[in-house]
Amino acid sequence: MNVPLERPRLLDRLSNQRLILIGCSAFLGLLFLTALAAPWLAPHDPFLVNLAVKLQEPSWTYPLGTDPLGRCTLSRLLYGARVSLGFAVLIFASSLLIGLLIGTLAGYIGGWVDQLLMRFCDGVMAFPSLILVLGLVGIFGPGLKQVIIALMLVQWVYYARMFRGLVMTLKEKNFIAAARVNGSSHWKIFRTHLLPNILPPLLVIGTLEMGWAIMDISAMSFLGLGVQSPAAEWGAMIHEGKSYIRTNPELMIYPGVMIMLVIASFNLLGESLSERFGVTKPPK
Amino acid sequence: MNVSRRKKSIIQAVSILSITTLLFGCSNPNEGADNTKDKDTLTLAWPRDIGEMNPHVYNPSQLFAQSMVYEPLVHYAEGGKLEPFLAKSWDISKDGKTYTFKLRDDVKFSDGSTFDATIVKKNFDAVLKNKALHSWLGFISKIDKTEAVDKQTFRMTLSEAYYPTIQELAVVRPVRFLGEAGFPKNGDTSKGVEEEVGTGPWVLDEYKADQYATFKVNKNYWGPKPKVKKIKIDIIPDAESRVLAFEKGDIDLIFGEGAISVDAYNQLKETKSYKTTMSEPVATRLLIMNTKKKQLADERVRQALQYGFDKKTLVEGITSGLEAPADFILPPNLPYTSNLNVEKRDFDVDKAKALLDEAGWKLPNGKKIREKDGQPLQIEMMYDAAELVQKAMAETLQSEWGNIGVDLKIVGVELPDQVQRFKDNKFDINMYSNFGAPYDPHTFVNIIGTDGFGFKEAISAYPNKDQLLQEMKDVLKTTDETKRQKMYAEILPSLQDQGALVPISYLKKMAIYQNGVTNFKFAANRDESPFAQIGIK
Repeated sequence: MNVPLERPRLLDRLSNQRLILIGCSAFLGLLFLTALAAPWLAPHDPFLVNLAVKLQEPSWTYPLGTDPLGRCTLSRLLYGARVSLGFAVLIFASSLLIGLLIGTLAGYIGGWVDQLLMRFCDGVMAFPSLILVLGLVGIFGPGLKQVIIALMLVQWVYYARMFRGLVMTLKEKNFIAAARVNGSSHWKIFRTHLLPNILPPLLVIGTLEMGWAIMDISAMSFLGLGVQSPAAEWGAMIHEGKSYIRTNPELMIYPGVMIMLVIASFNLLGESLSERFGVTKPPK
Repeated sequence: MNVSRRKKSIIQAVSILSITTLLFGCSNPNEGADNTKDKDTLTLAWPRDIGEMNPHVYNPSQLFAQSMVYEPLVHYAEGGKLEPFLAKSWDISKDGKTYTFKLRDDVKFSDGSTFDATIVKKNFDAVLKNKALHSWLGFISKIDKTEAVDKQTFRMTLSEAYYPTIQELAVVRPVRFLGEAGFPKNGDTSKGVEEEVGTGPWVLDEYKADQYATFKVNKNYWGPKPKVKKIKIDIIPDAESRVLAFEKGDIDLIFGEGAISVDAYNQLKETKSYKTTMSEPVATRLLIMNTKKKQLADERVRQALQYGFDKKTLVEGITSGLEAPADFILPPNLPYTSNLNVEKRDFDVDKAKALLDEAGWKLPNGKKIREKDGQPLQIEMMYDAAELVQKAMAETLQSEWGNIGVDLKIVGVELPDQVQRFKDNKFDINMYSNFGAPYDPHTFVNIIGTDGFGFKEAISAYPNKDQLLQEMKDVLKTTDETKRQKMYAEILPSLQDQGALVPISYLKKMAIYQNGVTNFKFAANRDESPFAQIGIK
């Protein structure tokens, strides 16, 4: 597709770029803090089944009401944030690390190593990533651990490709040549010259990728492949609420809105960061 | 490629957040096609494909559909009464071994061929080719000889007396009758039939796997003709989609066990725009504990688990009062099952904890799960993932047993997998039920006493197992009514008291139907279709 990579129109209309940056960061920061503090903030035990109070309307005791087993919806949402955000960070960090290693290696060394690694990446990328994850989870069996491993195994190729591209361009730059001539070791070149130049795009991709990871975990849990009962997770909560869409649609709406807000924030943040650093977004 | 990435993001976001909206759109693939408003066609929604219409096989063939096409010699009527059906009458010899059936002479198969003693014998012989498969049905493995004495007389000789034979002849499978044209060349129907030819009021008309099946009236039907001309079965796996299709008017009838969620049922009932009805108890929801597993071999652990949950709140909370908490492993509205002297184990957390302590499962400081010899008290429970009530019950038990220090893992599986794992003894606790009418109590007891169907293996740690198994064999042989009552009054409480079979609630079927549907009535037989005389206004 040859559509020029200009900034999205939505952002054009928002006059204050900075506002988005601050707003989204503040929201996400707050969310991370809430997730961390969930055990102290949650008004109830999110796993405690109490059928006497099932499907309650919002009240002072249960600010967002209760689910069909009488569990506090707000508490489950808070604990769900822990799972969603926590594992999104984990998937992001681990696939990034693998991608960074392999990508820079391929880009820096080049030659047959590059060929081998990149053809492998091409192979993985030839499949739609969600299908691949589904297939892997099918092999490993359902469960949060398996989903995370599967996502990690699939996600790293995108990072690898991108870092390879970056490193290939940088490699030709004069300052690298100068460092080489200077007799710097490979490690030193990587550390002092390559890495600092990779960081800004990394930040952009990181924020965008976080949204992805959250979506993927939720999607897997929604399909019943991710977190298993009684754990609280947003996608799983939508799944649980599905049977009550007619009588208690809010059971799906709350976690749905949370997923939407978080992913929208990550994406907006990523967009504005890419604008700020002048980085084009990752090829994926 | 940034654009495509973004596009993908939108697609995914939309799909996860609004996947439920899709439910509205997939109610009926052939919507508007033909006959939903047709007065002659009754459309019902069913969660799974009806499977092969073969009277001699089990899952995934659906019982209610098999019962539409194939008929028994004996009919199981309300209260356990056994009425003549394809057999006009029968004689049982004094020693209880020889059964002679006089067959009706006006019965024809749907292809016009005659139903007589020869075809009855042929069907029995086909079933007997796979004795092991059918041995859960006690009389099958005891059949010595089958004869077609004359055109209208069929005789069956057993190797020993077996009292429940007549009752077992009323079941939906495998002793119902396929017409001559249906038999494959080698006569073995277990691998499939040539044509679905039965004597029942319905004939399979169109069939599209996993989509729909239609049945039309059997022109040669010997009994009262059905009031509707066609029955269409729409396969809609998702419960909420079934309700939406029903509300839209595409579906006339939804029925079954846990066919829709309890909340949806109550909500539809409250609108008063539809008719709703619940059946009598058809079976008991049971927890079957596998005493072969180390943790569950100890009776004290099994007892602790029973004391450890509040049955009344669980049942009333989850079924909104539609089902009643069960005190007995068999529903008391069936013969021989009431007034049993069993030990009641009401909710008592302290007692549960004390029993676990006594059994050596102690709570280590600062931990939530009990341990014994360094092993945590982990138990896995499987349930039928398609049944909403089971899932809710499993999650509640998980939470309640968590309070007494038991780590319960719950696994939702497909029904055929559940049955297979149960047979293979690959489970800790199975959320299941007994078999209901017409299997209770005789066939149920026979199944418990037979290898390879799950129950016998599950109770194998009972200290009085051998005696119990012997009694279960004897009770089926006895021809003395008082003695039989007395024996059941010993067997059933013993099975229950030792805690491998835990009654939860009495399972009922539910039905919702449009106001135009007339004469809906649940069959007394749990597995039979309820549309004998159903009509549409």
